[in-house]
Parts: sequence; structure tokens; C-alpha cells
Amino acid sequence: MFEAKLANAGLLKKIVESIKDLVTDAPFDCSETAMSLQAMDSSHVALVSLKLEVGLFDTYRCDRTINLGLSLANMSKALKCANNDDTCMLKYEENEGDSIIFTFADPKRDKTQDVTVKMMDIDSEHLGIPDQDYAVVCEMPAGEFQKTCKDLSTFSDSLNITATKAGIVFTGKGDIGSSVVTYSPSSNTDDETEAVTLEVKDPVNVNFSIKYMNQFTKATALSDRVRLSLCNDVPVVVEYPIEENGYLRFYLAPKIDDDENMD
Amino acid sequence: MTSKRPGGSSFQPEVKRKRESDEFEQCYVSRFENELPSVPTIDKTGWARPAVDKDLGISKSIACQILEVETYHEDGSATSYDRTNVKLYGVTKSGNSICVIVTDYFPHFYFQAPQGFGVEHIGTAQSAICNMVAAAKRRGGSGQAQLPGKVVDNLVHVEIVHGENLYYFRGADTKVPFVKVSGSTEALHKARMELKNGVNLMGKGPVNVGNLYESNINVIVMFLAKTNIVGCGWIEIPAGKCRILSNSEKSSRCQIEVTVPVKNLIVHESDGEWAGIAPIRTLSLDIECIGRRGVFPEAIKDPIIQIANLVKIEGEAEPFVRNCFVLGTCAPVVGSNIIQCVNEKVLLEKWAEFVREVDPDIITGYNILNFDLPYILDRAKVLSLPQVSHLGRQKEKGSVVRDAAISSKQMGSRVNKSIDIHGRIIFDVLQVVLRDYKLRSYTLNSVSYQFLSEQKEDVEHNIIPDLQRGDEQTRRRLAQYCLKDAYLPLRLLDKLMSIINYIEMARVTGVPMNFLLTKGQQIKILSMMLRRCKQNNFFLPVIEANSGDGEGYEGATVIDPIRGFYNEPIATLDFASLYPSIMIAHNLCYTTLLKSPQGVENEDYIRTPSGQYFATKSKRRGLLPEILEDILAARKRAKNDMKNEKDEFKRMVYNGRQLALKISANSVYGFTGATVGKLPCLEISQSVTAFGRKMIDMTKLEVERIYKKGALDGKCPADAKVIYGDTDSVMVKFGVETVAQAMEIGLDAAKEVSKIFTPPIKLEFEKVYSPYLLINKKRYAGLYFTKPDVHDKMDCKGLETVRRDNCPLVAKVLGVCLEKLLIERDQQSALDFAKRTISDLLCNKIDISLLIISKELTKSGDKYQAKQAHVELAARMKKRDAGSAPRLGDRVPYVFVAAAKNVPAYERAEDPTFVLQNNIPLDTKHYLTNQLAKPLARIFEPILGDRAEKILVEGEHTRVRTVVQSKVGGLAAFTTKSATCLGCKSVLPRAESENAVCKHCEPKLPTIFASRMNTMHELENHFGRLWTECQNCAKTMQDKVNCSARDCPIYYMREKVRNELSEASAVIERFGDPCFQAPTK
Repeated sequence: MFEAKLANAGLLKKIVESIKDLVTDAPFDCSETAMSLQAMDSSHVALVSLKLEVGLFDTYRCDRTINLGLSLANMSKALKCANNDDTCMLKYEENEGDSIIFTFADPKRDKTQDVTVKMMDIDSEHLGIPDQDYAVVCEMPAGEFQKTCKDLSTFSDSLNITATKAGIVFTGKGDIGSSVVTYSPSSNTDDETEAVTLEVKDPVNVNFSIKYMNQFTKATALSDRVRLSLCNDVPVVVEYPIEENGYLRFYLAPKIDDDENMD
Repeated sequence: MTSKRPGGSSFQPEVKRKRESDEFEQCYVSRFENELPSVPTIDKTGWARPAVDKDLGISKSIACQILEVETYHEDGSATSYDRTNVKLYGVTKSGNSICVIVTDYFPHFYFQAPQGFGVEHIGTAQSAICNMVAAAKRRGGSGQAQLPGKVVDNLVHVEIVHGENLYYFRGADTKVPFVKVSGSTEALHKARMELKNGVNLMGKGPVNVGNLYESNINVIVMFLAKTNIVGCGWIEIPAGKCRILSNSEKSSRCQIEVTVPVKNLIVHESDGEWAGIAPIRTLSLDIECIGRRGVFPEAIKDPIIQIANLVKIEGEAEPFVRNCFVLGTCAPVVGSNIIQCVNEKVLLEKWAEFVREVDPDIITGYNILNFDLPYILDRAKVLSLPQVSHLGRQKEKGSVVRDAAISSKQMGSRVNKSIDIHGRIIFDVLQVVLRDYKLRSYTLNSVSYQFLSEQKEDVEHNIIPDLQRGDEQTRRRLAQYCLKDAYLPLRLLDKLMSIINYIEMARVTGVPMNFLLTKGQQIKILSMMLRRCKQNNFFLPVIEANSGDGEGYEGATVIDPIRGFYNEPIATLDFASLYPSIMIAHNLCYTTLLKSPQGVENEDYIRTPSGQYFATKSKRRGLLPEILEDILAARKRAKNDMKNEKDEFKRMVYNGRQLALKISANSVYGFTGATVGKLPCLEISQSVTAFGRKMIDMTKLEVERIYKKGALDGKCPADAKVIYGDTDSVMVKFGVETVAQAMEIGLDAAKEVSKIFTPPIKLEFEKVYSPYLLINKKRYAGLYFTKPDVHDKMDCKGLETVRRDNCPLVAKVLGVCLEKLLIERDQQSALDFAKRTISDLLCNKIDISLLIISKELTKSGDKYQAKQAHVELAARMKKRDAGSAPRLGDRVPYVFVAAAKNVPAYERAEDPTFVLQNNIPLDTKHYLTNQLAKPLARIFEPILGDRAEKILVEGEHTRVRTVVQSKVGGLAAFTTKSATCLGCKSVLPRAESENAVCKHCEPKLPTIFASRMNTMHELENHFGRLWTECQNCAKTMQDKVNCSARDCPIYYMREKVRNELSEASAVIERFGDPCFQAPTK
């Protein structure tokens, strides 16, 4: 028996919308402490890691660890039925077949809506990326990062990030020209949500496919802040915290010039 | 039960092949000096041809079959003409090779005699042309600056003949004077150029002679046509009418060489006594050469290490010589003669001697034209061995390789090598198969599989060095491969009866056999036209090819199909040989074409539905109709002869002939429509298709008019309805219930409706489809009945079962579904099968060989306008390993792999072997939506309605999926795998990650273990079976299998099962060592 209730259906909507283009079939792992998802995109360049801890939910009950396979396209269809402010209850009963029930309730109107989505049996390996120390950790406003990626993508397929103690530089070079965005660590820390903070142990210089970055920034709606963790020759982590009780992380492999699979 | 586990002995599949070591040494060059004599001992029994009968040509006539024709130039001298002679190479009935030099034949062309040109002008004209040719010759400075006056006078000959331009009807008998200019080809060529500028023919200043006639036709075709010799036909030289050349005089290596004036040749029709085939010797060969790592062998560096040869006499079952020239020592091979050579030089020289000694008429093999023969000749050049290039029958001429481009509608454009081995025909099986069959793959392996149901061990280039460098046993293995590669082409020729069919085609059309392989379709019809024109004194004008876009014309008609699944019999009425019979019936020909109508319509002329005018039979019988009538009559005769013939071999000959005749009859129409052709005449082709369209419509009206309800003494239960018609056939629903009834009415209809057409146009009733699935224009399937009780076959037209541009899975699924629908008539089981396949596809259970699409790499990437999957892939493979990457002309096999959204298809294509080795996930969704969905939906739509596609793509069966984790890809190196429960897939906490299942599933542990064990046993069995299959195919039980045949389904299965098996045994490991402990509760 699995039962979890979110105060706002909007949160789940935003999550699904931001990852459904990367991952088509999602095996959700539900345990006593959290509901999580780890999945690679189909070209094996990016990994999505989602964790929704118990604290996020109004009510949460999970008797045993289970794996729920869902097609994100179908999940998105179900969530479209809900208003953002509706509460959202996910329910799965082991003995009641192969469906998961979404119950949306509108507290103002005393209306509830049940949507049943058939589950999928997804046979995949469970992969993750071990935690590690990163040479550079940068936090910045999520909207700012989204705009930077979008601007640079008009010039280039590839995003170069260099970070030193002096600042972090995003470069996109292409045939028509180039664009360089530089952030110095902000000295004024008045407005915490607008600040750019930078912790540098060692300088880094890495390249990524900008196409994927643009996919990741769809999660901007989830959070004001984004955290980039970088190290040379190691996947970058783009993390959007979810109300201090969870996160949506994207891992992206660095771009190697000869790798024809990447562009 | 836990005690029964095999203690840790996990199944170990074969270790991956050892890679060739990087330091590539040229150690194979001079290693065998100590072990082998410098001249190999060779057993030559059976090589030589039978001895020549001494009386031949003196007291006995010489009869021989002509296989090859070539011309050569003989300079004139003070006493003789400058001339072009013809050499005919052939074989006598007793198997002697002969070279017949035909003298006194002069190539010629014509032009219409200018106004006022008479007999009295011949002298003037001749000397005028001769002088201009001589002047041109001097200008050309070909070392003959001093031409004796006598020679100049005899450069060309001029005479007056009477004849007519082939085009247009100008009245019943309007032969006009033409000037015939004859001489050597060289002189004629010069004369032609000069005549264009005007020549002083009548002593009154330059005259422009206008259009030339027959000056642009291949000299060999002209010679054969004018002498009535046909390719592969028999000629006879009466006793004492020729000069036999002594050995020292001979220019060729043939056993007999004679010169004979053209008038002494007796030409036999290929009938009766002369229908047979001489004991033609066919040599099949294959070479092996050693390559450096990652590079395809290049003749400049890489030596030839083996040449296998098989020689067979046409009509005999088995080859009488089997040998293999081997570099180095080699253990004996049963039934074959192994000739061990101390170095490559000896090998090549001895081999060339062998070829000259066995003196084959036909040289065959697989891709010898573009690989083996050029390689040998290039190698001979590199090693400076001039003798090796003397493979032909000319003593003085070596063989050279040239590039020859051929472009035809049937074949597309391609560049082949052209190799001149004088007097022998190069009959490359690959070229034959490319021409005559549409296949997915053209490797020797898959072609053999297709036609012989036999495969060979396909060894990658880069393991050949290992085998060569090994010992005499490994070289023996190589020799076996090599012999097999030489044997399979012979088997293919036998099975496909190519040689006989090509011989018959040569006889029917009159061109030499090698023209059929190296030239397009037109030359055949041209040769037939020329023969017919000669009889009737028509001349073929030279028509400048206007290679523009050319005006198109309307093609055949299609009656709009009434789509659906017909569960009742549908009768089919066909026009027999539609286009030829239209041309005969309406007298359509170049010679009957009218510029404007004259006389009375339908009496003196007819107006075709496309608005052209042709004279009627009463005015003049056209040439084309006569040719066609002859062809059709000859085909009937051949079919009859075939029926009555007892001898199996001769029956094959007759069958080959009737096929050749059928093809020729049908290509006459195309010949008139070829705008870039030698004799285009769109008026004819337009009229033919217009008649065809009209006739289909008339048939429909007539059938529906006669066979109303109650017609035919009440045998028609309902009004007949034509549900579909295309080009030459109409499908009629008579509303009857049984096939027998449909046949009865169909036969009657064919007879009745034929009456409205001009004979020989005839409707025939051949077959009934029941049931019949009509999907769209040119797309239908049905069960084909020619007898009322049992069906003959399932017939599919235009469906993916017969097309090559999709993966075999589509064809397979469609085939099974159609079988279930049409034969078993079980719609539910058909649908279930389709769903099950889709489900398997999504679970990655489909064999990868079924998903491979192949396309031919015709030109390199930058020449294509749009990026294409197979071209891009070939470029990528070249980066990875240049040696094994596909080359121009190869068919590139590929599969679609999963990629990010919006990645174009051409970037998703990947090499199937690479995919297997790296476990790359396939884009199953692409296969489902882009490949399977539409074709399946099409056949189910008539049954399920418009929802068919949705049911198939989104139904219940699509909800189980397997996600494959690739070994390559950006993130693969960084991820770690966490253990999941083998029962419920939930992630195991770190402390329990050694366990097989989670706590929750522990009670079910034995069941889970049993099912996993089961899976592994199944895989073990499967792998064992595949391995045995490969051993059987390679015919080795002790050695490992070296095969990596890229189009063999078993190879892919074997690789896939190998991977799955190692995964499965890893899973079993997780259950830990067996123990007797009772499960704690």
C-alpha cells in the first residue's frame, strides 16, 4: 500500500513537465522515507535524479519499498486535469491491479476527481552517480542561469564553463559569433535570492552540450535558486532544490570534442 | 532443492577473438625457402583441352559456337585494303578452342543520295572521300604521313543501294537511292567527321549530305547483324574453305586458328541440331590477400597468398579441376590439389600458366570484375611480372584494367572496372545477381543463403594474417575458405542457370554474351531492329540524343480501388502480353507512323487515342509488329519444345529461351519510349499506353454490362463489379461463393470480352483471389487460386513483405499476419500475433538481425544532397576502423539506436555489430511508429476500421518495457549500479546490497531462484544450439568459429545470447553459494 498526498498538484506538474522530454518511462522508487526517481535519458548523456522526501507531503504512507513504473507522457495527461492549487493524492494498492490512482481535490468547491493511469512494467538497471567533492560549487538565481543558457544557445551548440576564484564565465562560440557571460561573486548579500555565490577549490574548465542545459532549465519554475557543481572531466550537477525537502538533479556528461554521439 | 546448483561453474562463452598484434611484420614473404622447392611440383592431369582432329578444316568442316567477338585493324598496303577484321572466339563440339579470323567484311554506313547523284558520280565521290580521309589521317600524324596513292584510293568504298528511312510511312514502295560508304572503322570514323562539313561528291562543290544512317552503331553488333550471326550461335566453315594457321603464324593461344572470308561462313539458326551448347569451360576463382591492420588490402603493398580455382564444363555436375595455389606450406585438402609455392612471384606465375593451360572460355567468381582480377593484374605490375597479365587468348596482348561507367534505367549509374581478357568472357556472378535480382544484401554469403540455402564461414579481413602466419593447418583452413568462395559462384550459376539464360538471351537478341552484362537494355532491341531492317532495306538514322528532361507522357491507368477485405472469390482477367499485342493489333511501328493522315480513317490509317496517326496493315505491315509476332511465336515454340523435351539440360535451355523472349518482347515498348535512346519514338509509346488505358476502361464497362444478376443462365447471383484494375488486369467481384464458380464465370468473361478487341489482343483468365485484401492502388494481397480446390500461393503486391527499404521484421510480421488472415482466416490470431511482436519489440526481445535496414552506398557523403543515415554511418565507421568500414558500392547495414529528442534519424543509425558489442539501446519506439505501425495498420484497417493504428501502438501490450543500459555514451563511465531486488525491483538498502531479494520478497526466494535458473538454462541451451549451427555451417567441430557474417541472423543471435548469458550467470551469482539451511521464518 502506497499513499501520498501533496498540498499542491502544481508541484508535481512542474516536475513532470521539466523531465518528460528527457525521460519517457520513469520507474519511481518509493520507500518509507522518500519517493525518488533515477533515470537516464535515452542517449545516455544525462541522468535525472529526483527526490521527494516525506516532509514535502501532507500525508505519506509506504509500507514497503516498491517500484512504480509510469509513462511520464501519461502522467502528464493525468496531471493536466488538475488545477495548480488542487491537492493531489497518489494511491497504489498492491492487490488492485496495475494502476495508480491520482485523486485531485479542490478544497474550495468540495470537488474531487479520480484519474487512473495504467502502470508500466519497466525492466531497467538502477543507476546512480556517487556523491563526490566538487572543485567548484556555484549558486545563482535559477532564472539567471536559464537566460544565460538560452542566450548562448543562439550562438553555439556547446557551452564552455570556466570558473576561478575571480568569477565564473559562460562562453558560447559559434560560426556567427560568440557570447560571453561573466559573473563575479556578488559582494552585496542583501538579497539572498539574487546573489551569485561561488566556492572554488580548484579552477575548472569544462564543455557541455547546450541542448541538454536548455532541457534542464525547464525546471526553473521549481525553485528560485540553482546550484551547479563542477569538476574537470566529471559530469556537472545542476540541482534545483524543492522546498528544502527534496531536489531535482540533472547530471550531464562533459562534452569531449571527438565524441560524435553528442552533437 | 538449493543443493542442485552447479557449483559456481558459470557458463563461459568463447573468449573474444585475439586481435592482431600491433607490430605488423612482413614475415610471410621469404619464410618458406627452406621448406619448399623453388619450383612447385604440379599435377597437370586433366588441364589440357582434348587433342585436335587433324582433318578438321581440311576434309571435315569446322563447326563452332561463338562466344566472344572482337575486331582489329589491319593497315592497308600497296596491294590490299586498309581493313577491319573480326575475330570470333569459340568452341567446337568436341571441346577445342578456336579463333576464326573473318576477312573481307567491311563496316559501313549510309546517307541518302543527294539530289542528282547517280552511278556516274561514284568514282568522284569515292576519291573525294578517300582524299579527305587521307588528309585527316595525315593531320592526325599517326606515323603514316606517307600513304601510297593506291592505299588512299582504297580507304573507303562507295556504292549505291536502295532503301528507306525507318521513320515514317511515305507510301507503299518508296525505296530511294542511298550511298553506302564502307571501309575500316578508322577510315569510316574520319569520313563521318568530314561528311558533316560537306564533301565535293559530284565535282560541283561541297554537298551537305544531311543525316547519316547506321554510323553510330557498335561495330560488333553491326557485324553480327549483317552476317546474321547471333551471340553464342553456331557457325560452320566448310572443309577446305579456310586457311589453317600454323603454330608460328597464330596470333592466339587457341588450339585452332583459321582465316576465312566472310562469304564462306555458314551461319546456323539456333534450332534442332544447333540448339545445343558446346562443352564450354568455366573457371571460377577466388583470391585471398593479406591486409595490414585496419586497412583494406591494397595491391601496391599487400601480397596475394592464395588463389583457388575450379574448372567446370557446362552441363556437367561437378568441376573437373579443383586446385588452390598457396603461398607457403599447407596441409592437403581432400579432393583438391594444393600447389605450395615458395613465394608470391612463383604463385602468380604458375597460376597464370595454369589459366593459359586450361584455357577457360568463361571466367567467373564473386566480384572478380571489381576486385580479384584487377588485384591480380595490379599485383603483377607491382612485382614486374609481365607474363601474369597474359591471361587472354591473344599472344601479344596483356590484359588491362579500365574504369567503365554504365548508366541504365534498370541499374542506375555505376562505375565498374572493365578488363579485357581477349577471347574469354568475364562472367562475374555478383554482376549477374545485381542485374537480375533485388536483394537486401549482396554479399556472397547472403546470396548463397538466398538461393542455395547454404552459407559459408565469413572471415573478417583482419584475421587472415593470423591464419597465414600460423602453421600448415591454419593455412589449410584458409585454403578451405578460398576453395569454398570459388565453389559457391559455380553453384550459384548452376542454380540460377545464368549461363544458359544469358546464352539464350544472346541468341535471341543476337548480341555477344558479354554485352548483356556490360551494356544496357537498348542494345538488345537495337540488334533485333537492325537484323529486321536489313531484310527490308530500311536504314536506321542517327538521332542526336536530346538528353534534356524530355517530354513525359501519360503512363498506364489504374481503376480506383474499392478498398476492403473481400471474403469471397475475386476473379482476375489479364491481358496477355498487353503492350506487344497492342503494337501488333494496331500496327504501331516507326515505318507506319504518319506525319499527317492520308486516305480514309480506319481503312488507310488509324487515329490512336493519344492522337497519333498510323498506317493500317493494308498499307504496310510494320516492322515492330513483325518482330513482336516472331518473338511471341518463337516463345510459344520454345514452350512447346520444353514440354516435349526429355533431356533435362535441353529443357533448361528452352526455358531460358522462352524467358529471354518474354523479356525482349516486353522491352520493345520501353525502347521506343527511351528519349535518350538510339531510336526514340514517343508517338509509339504514347499510343501504346493510351490504347492500354482505353482497353482497361472498356473491359470494366463490358464486364459490368454482360454479367448482371441472373446472366449466364442464372449463374450470376449478383451484378458483377470491377473492384480494381491496373495496367493489364482487372479484378472482378462476381458475387459468387466458391472459387470454382468464380472460375467458370471468369473463363466465360475472358472469352466474351476478348471479342471487343482487335486480335491478337486477348483477355485471359488465370487466377482467382480468395480472400482478397485490397489496401490501395498497387497494394493488395490475396490467396492465389488457379485450381478450384487448393491455393497455389499467397500473393502480395506492393506490401512491405516484398520491399527492401524497411527492416525484415516488418516483412516477417506482415507475412505471418497475412497468412493468418488469408489462409487461416483467423483475424483474432493475426491481431494477437501483431500485438505480441510489438510487445517483444518494446521488451528488447526481437532479434537484432530483424531490425537491420540496409542501403547501398552509391556515392560518398558530400555527393548526396540531404544527409542520409547510411552515408553518415559509413563515415563514422571509417573513423572507428577504416579496414572493416563499408566501401562504395557496398550495402551498409544499420539499426536505429535511441537518442535524445529531435536528433535527426541520420545520426541515430548505428552499426549492428557495434550495437551488440556495446549493448546500445535500440530506438524501439522508432521501429514501432515509423516502421511497423503504418504497414500493420494498413492491413488491419479494412478489418478493424480507422482505429487500427491506435490499437496497435497504444494497446495493453505496449506497457511492458525493458530499458537497456549502454556501455558507451557520455555518462556510462560515471554511473554506479545499485542492487535491486530480483523479485520486486525495489532498491536494496546499502547494507543488504549483497542479497538477492529484499526482505519483503524473501519468502518467495525459491520461486525467484527457480525462474532465474530456468532463464539461464534456456539461454545456455539456446547458445549451445547456435554454436552447433555455426560449427555445422563452417564444417569444423574442433576449431573455434571465426565467422562474423554481417548478414547472417545466427551471428547476431549468437552475439546477443552470449551477452545475455553472461548477465544471467552474474544474476545467479547473487544468490550466493548453495546451503542447506532451512529458510528462517
